[in-house]
Amino acid sequence: MRNGGDGRARLLLVILIVTSLFLITLDLRGVKVLGGLTQGTQTVLSPFQRAGSTVLTPVKNFFSDVTRLGRTRTEIQNLKNENAQLKLDLLSRKNADGELEQLKKILDLAGTAGYKVVNARVISQGSSQSFSQTITIDSGTNAGIKRNMTVLSEFGIVGVVKDVYPTSALIQLASDPGFRIGGRIAGTQQIGILSGRGSQNASLQLLDNSTSIVEGDILLARGSISNRPFVPGVPIGYVTGVDNSAGAVAQTATVRYYTNFSTLGVVAVVVSGPTSNPGDALVPQKPRPTPVPTVTIFVTPSPTPSN
Amino acid sequence: MLTRQISISAPIFLLIFLIQESVITQFRLPGGGFSLLAIFALTWAVLSQTEAAAVIGFSAGFLMDLSQSSSGPFGQWTLIMLLAGYAISYVGYGDDNVHGNAIGTVFFVAIASFFIELAYLISGVLLGVPMPTFGRIVITLIGMTLWALLISPILLPLFTYLHRLIFNSRSII
Repeated sequence: MRNGGDGRARLLLVILIVTSLFLITLDLRGVKVLGGLTQGTQTVLSPFQRAGSTVLTPVKNFFSDVTRLGRTRTEIQNLKNENAQLKLDLLSRKNADGELEQLKKILDLAGTAGYKVVNARVISQGSSQSFSQTITIDSGTNAGIKRNMTVLSEFGIVGVVKDVYPTSALIQLASDPGFRIGGRIAGTQQIGILSGRGSQNASLQLLDNSTSIVEGDILLARGSISNRPFVPGVPIGYVTGVDNSAGAVAQTATVRYYTNFSTLGVVAVVVSGPTSNPGDALVPQKPRPTPVPTVTIFVTPSPTPSN
Repeated sequence: MLTRQISISAPIFLLIFLIQESVITQFRLPGGGFSLLAIFALTWAVLSQTEAAAVIGFSAGFLMDLSQSSSGPFGQWTLIMLLAGYAISYVGYGDDNVHGNAIGTVFFVAIASFFIELAYLISGVLLGVPMPTFGRIVITLIGMTLWALLISPILLPLFTYLHRLIFNSRSII
């Protein structure tokens, strides 16, 4: 360990500490002295992030495929023999097809509710180093995106636009610990506030303790004034657990998001909300079992025994 | 002297920041992933004298605050990295177990990674930054430390080589 330090080093340290504290104070007081610098940094970074996303997508797909191979090895082996050429084509187009599929479903969802959306590709997944959950998309103010707009996937809520730049935007995911959204249970119309927990699950706190919710209940967004930050009717998730502890001031529940935040490729930003509340129109339909055809064979015994 | 070294090392910091933001953030790594810039700055801080280490920490923290994934107020990472850089250099100064031993340096960086995350967490609570669940915090803290333990040995030769090139020190591991 060093014994003591010279005066110059200490003076430098003090100056740097004071500078840091000055920056923190300015930021907390809402003085965006470095707002322009942050904006400029993001504007410079977004082309590199876009390039990184394009270049690294095959690598990400490769690892994704390796993970899946264990589960569907038998099926892949059979298909490989039959469709070698076809599989090769599919592999090269897999990414585009996946994004197209996501896009179609998002447009279906937005079309049902009457949302006007701008589609965007995810170009960066934010680091969790700051305990935040964010993504960056490749559309910004140039495409009409503004702060506090709802972001959707084909399954429902993704998050909200936190910061916007000319060609990119930062999305705060619904799983972020700082994320809050007003929700209502489909059907019963009970309302509550949902908070992100940094994972695929979130906490729902009901405002009325006299009513009850059950596992499987579907949670939709209540919507905000002028549809910002949240448009009404967006599916959020479903209740997986209810805390019925006696004496609790408000009933709480665990909600699992419909959206898988790890597999986001394409998202849609709602730039204009619906003219009327879509109500429960966007509630996801439960999967129906495929009917199995029944074949009935009637056998009539012959009157005379055969030889 | 220090000004010349800072001006030469600035492009290296910017390049690492660029790699962090455009390449590493493409992957949703388990345990919260790692910050290349933090590992780089901590490694350099270990190898540097206190004066330079403080400036290295300040610069790295400033860039980390510019990152889009930073959720705290601007300056929070700057302050933490500045203090971490100074403290690491102060504690490790003249200790051959840190300077002349690759394993010692790697462990020093990994432990420092844990403590900067912890410091960010505690200061974040004090500053009113929303925090995830306890389980998620534990996973992130352990994950970041393990990632630092994994990444540091791989990049240590490059980082020490760059450090020697700029600071003309004899700390080659």
